[in-house]
Amino acid sequence: MAKSMEQMMELIEKMPEEAAKPGEFILPELMAIQIAHQVRNDDIVFAGTGLPMVGIMTANFINAPNALLIYESGICDGKTMHVPMSVCDQRAANMSSTLGGLVDTFGYYLQNGYVSLGFLGGAAIDKYGGVNVTSIGDYYSPGHRFTGSGGNSDIGTMAHRVAYIILQEKRRFLDRNEYTTTPGWWCWDFKKNEWKPKKEVWKGTAYANSGPVAVVTNMGNYGFDEKGEIYLKSFHPGVTVEQIKENCGFALNVSRVEGETKKPTYKELFVLREFVDPELIFLPQKVEYPAQIQKLING
Amino acid sequence: MPRSRTQTKKAQIMSLEEAAKTFMHDGAMVAWSGFTGFNRNPFAFAWQTVRQGVKNLHVIDRHGSCCTWLLNAAGAIKVYETDWMGWGEMAGKLDINLEKRYKKGEMILEDYSHGAMAMRFLAGAIGAPFIPYNAPLGSDLYNPKYDALGRAGMRGKDPRIPKKKFIQMEEPFWGEGDTVLLPSARPELAIIHVAQCGDKGTARWRGVGTIDKEISFAADKVVILAEEVVPESEMRKLPEGNQIPYFVVDAIVECPWGAFPSSVPFYYDYDAPFMRDMDKASRNPDDMKKFMDEWVFGPKNWEEFIVKLGAKRLLDLKADSVTGYSTRMMRGKKPAPRMKMPLSVAMSGY
Repeated sequence: MAKSMEQMMELIEKMPEEAAKPGEFILPELMAIQIAHQVRNDDIVFAGTGLPMVGIMTANFINAPNALLIYESGICDGKTMHVPMSVCDQRAANMSSTLGGLVDTFGYYLQNGYVSLGFLGGAAIDKYGGVNVTSIGDYYSPGHRFTGSGGNSDIGTMAHRVAYIILQEKRRFLDRNEYTTTPGWWCWDFKKNEWKPKKEVWKGTAYANSGPVAVVTNMGNYGFDEKGEIYLKSFHPGVTVEQIKENCGFALNVSRVEGETKKPTYKELFVLREFVDPELIFLPQKVEYPAQIQKLING
Repeated sequence: MPRSRTQTKKAQIMSLEEAAKTFMHDGAMVAWSGFTGFNRNPFAFAWQTVRQGVKNLHVIDRHGSCCTWLLNAAGAIKVYETDWMGWGEMAGKLDINLEKRYKKGEMILEDYSHGAMAMRFLAGAIGAPFIPYNAPLGSDLYNPKYDALGRAGMRGKDPRIPKKKFIQMEEPFWGEGDTVLLPSARPELAIIHVAQCGDKGTARWRGVGTIDKEISFAADKVVILAEEVVPESEMRKLPEGNQIPYFVVDAIVECPWGAFPSSVPFYYDYDAPFMRDMDKASRNPDDMKKFMDEWVFGPKNWEEFIVKLGAKRLLDLKADSVTGYSTRMMRGKKPAPRMKMPLSVAMSGY
């Protein structure tokens, strides 16, 4: 017989906090949990739809239950029971502190400096963390046209720390984007037509020191150095540094690699599968638990 | 728009057909309520607009939605001034007809960001000509080369299209670096789907507000579509729950299930499978035509459209009165679990 939610909640504490073995989890699960690790318990988080939302929900259920989640449609501190499909889903508004609109989230919260972590997606990224979600090729007659900024450019420049989740391919990891929707640590100064550090372009504003701090891809985790340049921090299980370099469009700094990405623990996987996305909306499939975990669940 | 009004508005209760005939016309500049394809899209009004063969719309908005999906399917949009051109279940992807028409040069896209469009509508709502915003400096959104309306020679002619896309300037009061001035948004028509509307026009939604209040005040004309039209006196029992005062409203349309396939919190949920079918249909011209014939031009009226969905579908979508959404509908590959409390609340202790 299926377990009740209360019984499942009791099981969380019994789940071992040891790393799962290769084959016991899938890549989207690993990525969602990498996102979760970026969230601190005292963060005010502003996240986009999709895996960023799944990741911050996972954090909210594991390592950062007090993190305050903002969703751009106007939701402040949503306490979610069922995974939302969109940032305006009533599921995201459940038990929220207040509900408002975009003027609240982008004005009162974001521009006013309250947001400490932004988590976003992107179609392509440059080596200074500048992101393109607009177009590939000529802007007016693009080879490919994406959705455009949405909240990406606002959140990506005004949240204090910003993290991205991006599919890693050579054509998506670029020396320079064809269109910069969200500037990273280097960007154009259109008044002088010069490419320069964000700190100079944004000098005097409250956001000169805000910007990307982490990138999670399907191959590895990345950080940014003192000059604002991206470097490889860890490689996901089953991926080599060589493969990562082959899937990067510029000479990637791999001198700071700390080793393999931490594998998700059984406890993290249990929470993600049973509480965050049991409906399999963002996760493509339900992976079988290994025998010892299934035994714990069966009681 | 700051404009002295010589005549007070008096909201008229009318049918969907009447409202679309009265307020929608070729070339109108329109904003639609809700957010993405999921929340309070005035889909019935977009549906009626397409049935009336309206063309060359200038949609000024902060999202793509089920409405813009349908308008694009009918080729009804000429200018799309917005910031996020995805639409619904396929978040992150452009709707196929929009992409096709844009690549063929049949429409103009003007890019902003969510925050920027919210601020532009706020400026419009409070009668300010423009608003400063820390819109991302160094973003190609504010690259002087990328001004689609300017390039098309459309600026400075139409009184609703500002002379410039933006102005970057030194912040003059506090010495806080550069800021970007954004022109107010001044649509002709706002179409707002709400939960309840009083028969005088006071309107209320539940759930998120997105920028619907700002849009209603920024626009010249406001059409409210409501799940329920109730006695105005009932709306006055909890005035803090109302968002739109009656004096900005021009027309009231009672239109149950009028936001399908998006949701109206506490009334019904969004229909993700239906949105997937819409997307699938748009990927092939024959399927697209079949979809339009079957769902848009086939039904005699909106009521018939809803009847065609069938009672089972409506039962599954019906929201429960506690959470405001449905746990009976199948959104993914597995049914929703029965929850008592969010796990984060259990863990954080309140």
